[in-house]
Amino acid sequence: MSNAPAEEIPAEEIDLTEANQIIDKYLTLPGNLMPVLQGIQDAYGFVPKPTIDLVAERLNVYPSQIYGVLTFYAQFHLKPRGKFIIRVCVGTACHVQGAERITETFFGRLGIGHAETSEDLRYTFEKVACLGACGMAPLAMVNDDTYGKMTVQKVDEIIETYNARPMK
Amino acid sequence: MVNLTIDGKQVAVEKDATIYDAAKACGIKIPILCHDKKLHPFGGCRMCLVEVEQMKGRLIPSCTTPVTEGMIVQTTTDEIVKARKLVLELLLLKHPIDCPVCDAAGDCDLQNLTYEYKVNMNRFVDEKFNHEIDYENPLIERDMNRCIHCGKCARICDEIVSYGAYTFINRGIEAKMGTEFDGPLNCEFCGSCVSVCPVGALNSRPFKFKARWWALQKTKSVCSYCGTGCQLTLGSKDGKVLTTIYDENQGFHNGQLCTRGRFGYQFVNSEKRLTAPLIRKNGKLQEATWEEALAEVTSRLSAGKSDPASVAALATPRLTNEELFLFEKLFRGTVGTDNIDHSAGYAHEALTKGAKASFGVTASPAEIADVQKSNLLLVVKSDAYETHPVIGFEINLGVKRKGIALRIVSDKKGKLTRLPGAKTTVHAPGSEIALFNALCKSVIDQGLAAEGVAGLDALKAAVADATAEKAGVTAEEIAAIAKDFASAEKALIILPIGQGYPGHNAALANAAANLAILTGQVGKEGAGLLIMSEKNNSQGAVDMGIYPKGTGLNAQAIIDGCANGNVKTLFVAGENPVVSYPNRAKVEKALENVEFMVVSELFLTETAAMADVVLPACSFAEKSGTFTSLGRRVQNVRKAIPAVGLAKSDFDILNALSQALGGARYNNQGEVFTEIAANVPAYKGLTQAGLKDEGAVYPVTLAAKLVPAAAKASAPAAGKLALVTGSALYHCGTMSRFGEGPMYVCPDAYAELNVADAAALKVAEGDQVTVTSGTGAVQVAAKVGKRVPQGVVFSPYHFGEGSVNTITDGSEVTYVTVAKK
Repeated sequence: MSNAPAEEIPAEEIDLTEANQIIDKYLTLPGNLMPVLQGIQDAYGFVPKPTIDLVAERLNVYPSQIYGVLTFYAQFHLKPRGKFIIRVCVGTACHVQGAERITETFFGRLGIGHAETSEDLRYTFEKVACLGACGMAPLAMVNDDTYGKMTVQKVDEIIETYNARPMK
Repeated sequence: MVNLTIDGKQVAVEKDATIYDAAKACGIKIPILCHDKKLHPFGGCRMCLVEVEQMKGRLIPSCTTPVTEGMIVQTTTDEIVKARKLVLELLLLKHPIDCPVCDAAGDCDLQNLTYEYKVNMNRFVDEKFNHEIDYENPLIERDMNRCIHCGKCARICDEIVSYGAYTFINRGIEAKMGTEFDGPLNCEFCGSCVSVCPVGALNSRPFKFKARWWALQKTKSVCSYCGTGCQLTLGSKDGKVLTTIYDENQGFHNGQLCTRGRFGYQFVNSEKRLTAPLIRKNGKLQEATWEEALAEVTSRLSAGKSDPASVAALATPRLTNEELFLFEKLFRGTVGTDNIDHSAGYAHEALTKGAKASFGVTASPAEIADVQKSNLLLVVKSDAYETHPVIGFEINLGVKRKGIALRIVSDKKGKLTRLPGAKTTVHAPGSEIALFNALCKSVIDQGLAAEGVAGLDALKAAVADATAEKAGVTAEEIAAIAKDFASAEKALIILPIGQGYPGHNAALANAAANLAILTGQVGKEGAGLLIMSEKNNSQGAVDMGIYPKGTGLNAQAIIDGCANGNVKTLFVAGENPVVSYPNRAKVEKALENVEFMVVSELFLTETAAMADVVLPACSFAEKSGTFTSLGRRVQNVRKAIPAVGLAKSDFDILNALSQALGGARYNNQGEVFTEIAANVPAYKGLTQAGLKDEGAVYPVTLAAKLVPAAAKASAPAAGKLALVTGSALYHCGTMSRFGEGPMYVCPDAYAELNVADAAALKVAEGDQVTVTSGTGAVQVAAKVGKRVPQGVVFSPYHFGEGSVNTITDGSEVTYVTVAKK
């Protein structure tokens, strides 16, 4: 592939240093698009548009194809994500145990629905199909912390807890 | 070969064939929606399911299953029909039944199959899609509600066009064909996606609501833009060409067209067409009858017979061979002047002088088919894609499918330089000959020269002082290209020529030929030199002898002769020197000065507007005859519509003049082709009927010879930028300006600058800039990017307003200053 060295690419308004480093790391690896995009998502929290253009140019892949990959996999995000990702299970067991009240309460308190992010970038809210702990239904997770046997009161407690956490 | 049985028929096919291919080979049609013979098999639509005796228990997609020995295939059983009906029902679940207003109706695979399989009810119910229709561009309408997800648009755009505008976006039921960020389409607009779309999801907007498909008269002809000679099918109705129709079986390119061929046809029925003769009376062009106009021209030419040196004639290489033959016979024979030429004189010299000296023929030694048979392509200028886009597709295919190595030597980057594995050497503008000389020297120094090449010593002496530095590249790059080229089994040099490329002259053709001859890359298929002449019949114009052969004046000298009064009568058939010849002010002054100028033209061009008599001529769609494309293929052009207005074909005009002047008279153009076959050695044995649909490549016998070419030392002036001219992707010559398609996409002249130069000049994209040279100054819009290197400006030559010939004088490079207006 006629992959381009880093210096030919102009810096956009976002800092592309890290993205360039990630591309450098995988530049010669066959099938490097996925690890590069995953690396960028890890570094930036989402995949910003300027990094797509950068990846397209340096890996010589059509931007459209990158966009196709990004929209195919649920793991990629094209918009900034919250610091705290709240995931509420709406799978069968949780649904029976009243997951709907939990999601509605989060919506009422935070004003964000499924796959939405609060303006201050503190929270992203997602409804998910199953988190694999049906015995604790209804279930919610915030980042890697699990909260079982959820109640409306517990929603308030969770929000209070994470509101107090620093953003940095 | 593999033997198998399909529906009881025995068939033997190549071992890499699929069941679908094998069925097609023995005349069995398997229904399919996601297949195009040019694309890799996809297996997405599940319409082509068949039963295979050896693979019982499931239905097999025939388009992705390779044949095996002894296979027994059934293509139509009750179970298969049931499965296909189900597929159609599922597709129709989402596909809107808006056939009455769909332009694809009649040419829609889904509609045809629904009819064939009698799917008149659906067991399923679901909502239709509600995607927004993309009307953002003037050429391609994208209605994704009609899309059946065959993926052909994305595949053709990737595999052949190498643009990659489309992809599947999202997943599951939400999946659709989309673009980057699901935005509006913004691409090259070649329309390949429209041509392969099996339904009406992608439509040609210029054709929208123009005619039902079945009401169109279909005429097979040849595109009248560049020299590639793509075959096309014109769809016409009520005397108007309304569209071009895709036929995957047409030509070497399998129906593939570029934006000019597909969307540039509207010039034929443009409202700007001349519909009646014009004669200048009291300083103004006024409508006249054909009798008056021809009488006037006849009397001038008749008077000119006594002083033939005062008569000169310029013809466009867009005319048919028959017309050009008549033109040559009228002026060189009946009138008796050798002052005839075409394409500004210099644009054919790579053939008439270059190839003539190096190979002993005035044609391209290699043909188009050699591109895909080669192992290494050395492309002179990335512009080869812009000048001849469909050959660009051939290069794309060769590089991506066959792993053909691609080396590009160019003064700028371009689309070709982004192909996988492409190695690009960006050299100093105007240093092409120096570069080839350095390559020849490197071949000799590395001991890679073929044995027993005649004239080697003379070449050695001529290139003794050639260095990589003179071309502005490194010695390592030169050594690497020389080694790769010499050691490739079959290596082909691709050299585009044309009026936008004054540096691609006879000397460059010699220099390039030297490399091929020196390395033994001649006289075998897939190797040598492919000279890509600019216009649809440029090769024909050379073959018909439309250039001075004795002491006659060439195009430049004719212009000078008009200026100094030596040329008193000028006949211009379709050329537009005011816009396309170097030094516009000089040309205009000369044409003002000439006593009598007659122009036969489709439009009142800048040149025609200065004429004393203007004769309305016919476009390629209104006449029959032959064109000879680059690579020497002679092809039939067929009349699709009657003449527009009172226009006459150049054939009729020249025939009438010839008769009036006591020359030959022909009953039809076919008679002239017979005479061509008898008189032009290369065309010996050819007949129009014998050309059939595919045409014929006439053979050449090469007498290869090393011809030293002297590189001009180019001296960049301090503080100036090097202006190089050329072709824009959407245009060809000056005629494409009258096609709405090309003008929608690329309407105005521009100057393309490097980002660094633009920043230094404080010029942003779209700013109006004044470009000034020693010849003149012109105002154009700036285009800013990284395609051209620092210190170089690129400007296409097609446009009348802000025409780049205002500032060029015919040299390879023009040194200019650029300033923001």
